[in-house]
Amino acid sequence: MLELTDVTRSVRLADDRVLHILTGVTLRVDAGEHVAVVGRSGTGKSTLLNILGLLDSPTGGEYLLDGASTRRLSGRRRARLRGESFGFVFQQFNLLTGRTVLENVAAPLLYARGRQFWSRNRLAAEMLERVGLGDRLEDMPDRLSGGEQQRVAIARALVRRPRVILADEPTGALDVDTGTAVMTLLDDIARESGAALVTITHDLAVAARSGRHYRLADGVLVPVTLVSPDRPGSLAEWVGDVPTLGASTDGAPAPRAVPAGGAP
Amino acid sequence: MTGLVGALVEAWDELRVHKLRVLLSLIGVAAAVTAITGVTAAVGMLGQAMREQTERWSGRETTLTVSAYPVTGSGDAARASEAMADVVERYSVAYASRVGWGQMAVELPGGTQILSGQVVDPAYGVIHRIEPGQGRWFAPSDADRLAPTLVVNQAFLDALAVPDVSGHPTVVLQGRQGVLAEVVGAVPDQYPGEPPTYTVLTDQVERWGLSVDPWGAGASPPALELWVPPADVPALRDRVDQDLRAALPGWQVDVTEPVGEAGVLDSASRWVIIAVSGFALLLGGLGLLNIALVTVRQRIREIGIRRSFGATSGRVFFGVLLESVVATLVAGVVGVVLAVVALDALPVDRLLGTALQDEPPFPVSAALTGLACAAGVGALAGLLPALWAVRVKVIDAIRY
Ligand SMILES: Nc1ncnc2c1ncn2[C@@H]1O[C@H](COP(=O)(O)OP(=O)(O)O)[C@@H](O)[C@H]1O
Ligand SMILES: [Mg+2]
Repeated sequence: MLELTDVTRSVRLADDRVLHILTGVTLRVDAGEHVAVVGRSGTGKSTLLNILGLLDSPTGGEYLLDGASTRRLSGRRRARLRGESFGFVFQQFNLLTGRTVLENVAAPLLYARGRQFWSRNRLAAEMLERVGLGDRLEDMPDRLSGGEQQRVAIARALVRRPRVILADEPTGALDVDTGTAVMTLLDDIARESGAALVTITHDLAVAARSGRHYRLADGVLVPVTLVSPDRPGSLAEWVGDVPTLGASTDGAPAPRAVPAGGAP
Repeated sequence: MTGLVGALVEAWDELRVHKLRVLLSLIGVAAAVTAITGVTAAVGMLGQAMREQTERWSGRETTLTVSAYPVTGSGDAARASEAMADVVERYSVAYASRVGWGQMAVELPGGTQILSGQVVDPAYGVIHRIEPGQGRWFAPSDADRLAPTLVVNQAFLDALAVPDVSGHPTVVLQGRQGVLAEVVGAVPDQYPGEPPTYTVLTDQVERWGLSVDPWGAGASPPALELWVPPADVPALRDRVDQDLRAALPGWQVDVTEPVGEAGVLDSASRWVIIAVSGFALLLGGLGLLNIALVTVRQRIREIGIRRSFGATSGRVFFGVLLESVVATLVAGVVGVVLAVVALDALPVDRLLGTALQDEPPFPVSAALTGLACAAGVGALAGLLPALWAVRVKVIDAIRY
């Protein structure tokens, strides 16, 4: 369904140097599949996810969506595809302030058409019921706990019945127990609706839930195999340079910056 | 369809979230629209009041007054009257009236009295906006009736010893022979102690020879009033002048044009209102712009989030623009409603010192202009944020 082939992404910095974030990513995600991507902070995980979700475009390589190239899509078409096919869950929840929980979940349906548009409040309420927040519809998001806010975000990501859920460090702002509960919900709900789930994380326990695992380092994606989820000792070996579970990974070196036109 | 509704829902939600700030800046817009509509309406009413007041005295704005005097000695008043009637018929003037003064001998319960009164044609009532307090003014058919009809003042009714005109009071007028006249309408006395007076139709006076001539000076010839469309005034003026001179050799004929007055206040005050309202609108618009700029940071993130839901850049532009247009339009509607309520609640009669016969219609055009200005200011205030909103880079917006 999603197919990245040798995708590169580089950006020109303010001082006119070119930063190569992704140097050749190849990834295939099939319908209903759960994939996890781990990697240090600043390795380009969010960039990769944004490309998958049509929020960003590759500099080079090919991204096929249902076998069709996404290169020549108009901005309008990209926006429509994004709304119809993808649901996003962000680390910092990204709920709309000043709107109730219900309005937040109904918001994506404002860009839908027909029945989905007109019955948006009912659909949103049903989705909130599913994530266990059926009694908080009229609350403002800032009255909710972090875990509850992320559940609202999950309901919002799923309310248009996307085929792919893109979760960018969904447990990054939550404590371990809450994170586990939220991930369980996300896994279950994605499985129920048959949506594929691409989760980006630097939490190994979160990654361990997925069927396939990749590690993003030096701008390329490397498949990794999980030795055993029951033996935490093997996890560090598995991710290699990622520090201990759940700890901050900030301060890691960013991708190399090389002069414009230089070799990657 | 769903796109437009969706954008409207979004705009409305956005306004709800920023209620207080939006409200404050919109007060200016609402006030401006109230001012534009309300003052235009008030000026319209004031002008109408002044016009009606003037017209009660000198006839409607575009009334030509024709007077004719015999230059040498005495002329035949009846011939002048006839010549005038001819002119009216020739040029098909819809509202025309001969206006003269007459003396009649009236048999009142206290004895016969010579009373003076006005001798006019039925159209005089329209030209001078006469609405009798009781009964009615003359109908065109009254001129053809066999028996004369009278519109009298209150003092006349008192002299007749009848309370009002509901009982169709009659009175005997002495002319070539006695004739029973019916009182069909009554007007209040113009001032306390006004003597009994009446208005009677020219045709009836002539038919019954009602005019008495106590001093033997001969009946004075009537004047002629012609209420005509403004555009016809110059042409008709000359024609009437020529025709009457031809029909009445040896007479002095004068055609007086109306003195244009009303409208001065209108145009001068309108400019002041427009300037002040424009200023208020501008301030309201700046207030909205200010809100947009203050909430920039929050908006960037929101726009990014909405883009992730599938909002196209067109939709984002339109949504942000619509936000302020919806806001100012709502303010505009509030302004119009306020103006309507205010005008309704104001005791216009007492303020203007006179009841209006023809209340000017509510200035719909002013209301629409106000609304259009409000929407325009909204669009202008929204344009900058909207242009800027479509340039928001989604990935930067949701990055944090
Ligand atoms: N538009 C951009 N301009 C400049 N630098 C960028 C841009 N997008 C991403 N980067 C840089 O690329 C690197 C990868 O970013 P990101 O994909 O957010 O990493 P991750 O999500 O893995 O932490 C970071 O160092 C970031 O600063
Ligand atoms: Mg990231």
